Amino acid sequence: MEEKSVDDVYSWSEEGVVKVNKQDDPSPAPVKKRVKSRMKLQQIGLPLAAGIVMLLLWEWQVLHQIFGLQTYQLPIPSTIVEALVENAPLLLSYTGYTMTEAVLGMLIGSSLGFVVALMATAWPRWGRGGLLVIASLNAVPIVALAPIMNLWFGSGIGSRIAIVTVITLAAMAINAHKGMKMVDPLALDLMHAYAAKKTEVFRYLRIMNSLPYVFTALKINTTASMIGAIVGEFFFSSKGLGYLLSNSIKVAKMPLGWSCIVVAAIAGVVFYLLVEWLERRMLKWHVSHRA
Amino acid sequence: MVSFRSRWLPSLVWIVGLLLLWQASSWVLLHVVEASMAQSKIPYIHELIRTFITYGGTLFTEGSATFSNAALGFLLGAILGAVLAVLMSLSKWMEQLTFPYAVASQMIPILGLAPIVYGIMRDEQIARVLIAGYITFFPVALNMLRGLRSVDLSAVELMYSYAAKPWMVYWKLRLPASLPGLFSGLKIAAPLAVTGAILVELMGAQNGIGVIMLRNLYYGPSHNYMFWSTVIVGALLGLLSYLIISLIERMVAPWQPEFRPSGGDK
Amino acid sequence: MTASSTPEIQLDQISMRYQTNSTEVLALQDVTVDIKKGEFVSLLGPSGCGKTTLLRIMADLIQPTNGEIKVAGESARAARLAQKYGIVFQSPVLYDWRRVKQNINLPLEMMGIKKAEREERVDYLLELVGLQDFKNKYPWQLSGGMQQRVAIARALAMEPEILLMDEPFSALDEFTREHLNEELLSIWSKVGSTVVFVTHSIPESIFLSDRVFVLSPHPGRLSAVVDIPLPRPRTPDMRHSPAFYQLISDIRDCFEGV
Repeated sequence: MEEKSVDDVYSWSEEGVVKVNKQDDPSPAPVKKRVKSRMKLQQIGLPLAAGIVMLLLWEWQVLHQIFGLQTYQLPIPSTIVEALVENAPLLLSYTGYTMTEAVLGMLIGSSLGFVVALMATAWPRWGRGGLLVIASLNAVPIVALAPIMNLWFGSGIGSRIAIVTVITLAAMAINAHKGMKMVDPLALDLMHAYAAKKTEVFRYLRIMNSLPYVFTALKINTTASMIGAIVGEFFFSSKGLGYLLSNSIKVAKMPLGWSCIVVAAIAGVVFYLLVEWLERRMLKWHVSHRA
Repeated sequence: MVSFRSRWLPSLVWIVGLLLLWQASSWVLLHVVEASMAQSKIPYIHELIRTFITYGGTLFTEGSATFSNAALGFLLGAILGAVLAVLMSLSKWMEQLTFPYAVASQMIPILGLAPIVYGIMRDEQIARVLIAGYITFFPVALNMLRGLRSVDLSAVELMYSYAAKPWMVYWKLRLPASLPGLFSGLKIAAPLAVTGAILVELMGAQNGIGVIMLRNLYYGPSHNYMFWSTVIVGALLGLLSYLIISLIERMVAPWQPEFRPSGGDK
Repeated sequence: MTASSTPEIQLDQISMRYQTNSTEVLALQDVTVDIKKGEFVSLLGPSGCGKTTLLRIMADLIQPTNGEIKVAGESARAARLAQKYGIVFQSPVLYDWRRVKQNINLPLEMMGIKKAEREERVDYLLELVGLQDFKNKYPWQLSGGMQQRVAIARALAMEPEILLMDEPFSALDEFTREHLNEELLSIWSKVGSTVVFVTHSIPESIFLSDRVFVLSPHPGRLSAVVDIPLPRPRTPDMRHSPAFYQLISDIRDCFEGV
C-alpha cells in the first residue's frame, strides 16, 4: 500500500531526473526513442480525436439531445460550413475590415504604451504613479469604452481603432516598464563605468532588456485587440465580423453567426502565431529560445 | 508616512491633474469650440457627481445585479478551472486532451461568443453567469497549471524523503506553490468576467448596469450624465473585482516575492 | 566515539550507470563503504566524482544499477519509509509560504506528531540552531546561512539516526561556512547522529569528519579513506595546526596520484 503510493510520487517528478534506469531495463535507449515517437503521436492524436468525436456528436445532434437544444439554437457544423462557403466573399472582406481595426489599433496602442514605459522609467518618481493610473485602465470593461469611443470618433473605423488602442496601451506600458526596470544591476554598473548618458543606458541596455517583456505584451495584445475590435463592432458598426455576428443572431441566422466565430477564431490564431514567429526571429538570443 | 508620500502621492497628483484637465476640456469644448453634443462627449465632472448623488440608488442596485452575476460565474469558472488544472497535473492523458484547446482558447476572441450564448440561452441570468464563467475558466486553468508545475525538484525530493503520499505532496507542496499562478489567473479573469456580464446585458437583458447604459445612450443628450455615470460604474466594477482579488491574494498568499518590501526607490 | 559492531550504513559494490542520449556514463563503480554508528564522515571529491549520487543512493532518492545497500540495518527504502534519516540539500529548499517555525514543523506534521509535542520539538530545534528570534520570519527575510540552519533543524526534526548532507554550505561565503561548520559540530555533539557530509572542500571535510572518503571521477570510485585523528571537540584554532596542514596535503596527494 505504502510502497505503491511512493512509486506514484516518483512518476510525477520530471522524467528521468529522479528516476534512473533500473536494473531490469535491458536496452533503455531504443525503448526511450520509441516511447518518444509514440508520445508525439499521442500528443497530437488524442486531442484531435477528441475534437473530431465532439464535432460528430454535435453533427449527429447527440449534444442537442443531451442539453435539450434545437438546431435553431445551436446549428450543426455542416450548416455552419454551408453558411461559411455561401458567404465567403462577405466574410473575407469583413475579416479584412476587422483585422485592419485590430492591427492598426494594436500598433498605435502598443507604440504609445512603449513610449509611456520609456517615460515612466526615465522619470521614476512621477512615472510610477502615472503607470498605476494607466494600469487601472486594464480593469475597465471594453464594453464601457465602446459607447464613449463612439461618441468621440463616430461610428466608423476610427472608434474601434481607438478602443483597441486604449486596451492595448495599458498591457504594453506595464510589461515594457517591467522589462526596462528589471535590468541586472551589474549591467547598469557597467554602463556607469562607461560613463553612459541616460539615453545611452536606454539605447544599449534597457530597451534590449525589455524586448522579451514587449513580446509578452504583444501576444496578450493580439487577443485583446481582436476582442476589442469585435466587441466594438457589436453595437455601433455597420461592417465587420462583430457586426455580422451580432446582427445574424438578432435575425436568427445562427449558422452565419457561428461562421463569423469560426472565421474570427482562425484569424485570431493566425495573428497570434504571426506575432510568435516574429518573437522567435527577433529574440534568438534570449534564454527562452535557446534550443 | 514617507512611504505614503513616495508611493501614493504621485498617483494622487496624476488623478487630480487628469480630472482638472478633463474639467477644463469640458469647458473648452462647451464654450470655446462650441462643439455639438459637447456635454455628451466630455461631461462636467460636477454634473456627474450630482447625477451620482441623485441616482445613486439605481446605479447601485443595477451595478450589484451585474456584479453578483459576474461574481457567481467567476466563482464557478474559477473552481472548474482550478479542478481542471489539478487533473491536468495529475494525468498526462488529461493534459494532452485539454491543453491544446485551453491554449487555443486564449488565442481566439472568446467574448465573441457572448451573443451566441445569449442566443442559445435566452435567459439573461444564466447567460451572464455562463459567459463570466467561461471567460474565467481557461486563464485560471492555464495559470494554475503553471503554478502546480513550478515546484522545484528538490522540494519534491524532500517530500519523497518523508515518504509522503501523493495527496500529501499536493496538500503540503503543490497547491500552496500554485497559489501565485492561481491568483494571476484570477486577476486576469476578474475584470473580464465583469466585461462579459455587461456585454450580455447590452445584448438585451432586463436589468443590470449594461441595460441602463444602453437605455440612456438611446435617450440621447438629455440623459448623457446618466449614461456617463453608468460607464463609470462599469469601470468601477471592473476595478473593484480586481482589487478584491488582490486583497484576497494578500491575505491568502502574503509570502510572494512581489509583496516583499524592496530596497526603496531610486 | 560510540562505534558499535554493525555498521550504520553499509554500501557493497555499488555501481551506477546513467543513460544519456547516446552514451552510457558510469557514475559510480564498485564503491564499498562502511559507516559506523555515530560517526561523522565526509564524501570528498571534485565535481563528477559521484559523491552526490552516492548520498542520494543512501537516501533512496535513486536506486543503484548494481550493488547492495543497508541503512540502519534495513534496505534504503525501508530506512526512508521509517524516517531513519534527515536530509539537507545544497539549497535550503524552504517553502516560501511557511514561516521559519512552520518549515521546521513540516516533517512533524507529515508524520502525524501531536500538536503539543510538535511545538515543544520546534522550540528545542530553534534553540539548537540558534534561531529563536527568527521563528516567525519568512525564509526570504533570512540570510543564506540562516536559511541553511533552518534546513538543518528541519532535517533533525524527526530525531533521525542519520543526517545526510549534500554540500549544504557550498553556496555560502568562506567565513559563514567556517562558522556553520563549528555550529554543525556543536549540534552534532548534542544529537549524536551519524552524519554523511558531501563536500568538495578539503579543509571542511577535515575539520568536520572522523573519516574522509576520497572519491575520484571518470568513473566515480573510492580512491582512499583518510582517518582524521584530530581530537574532539574541534576548535577553530585547529585549522592552523601543523597536523591539519599535513592532512590537507595528504588528501591532495590522493588526487594527484590519480
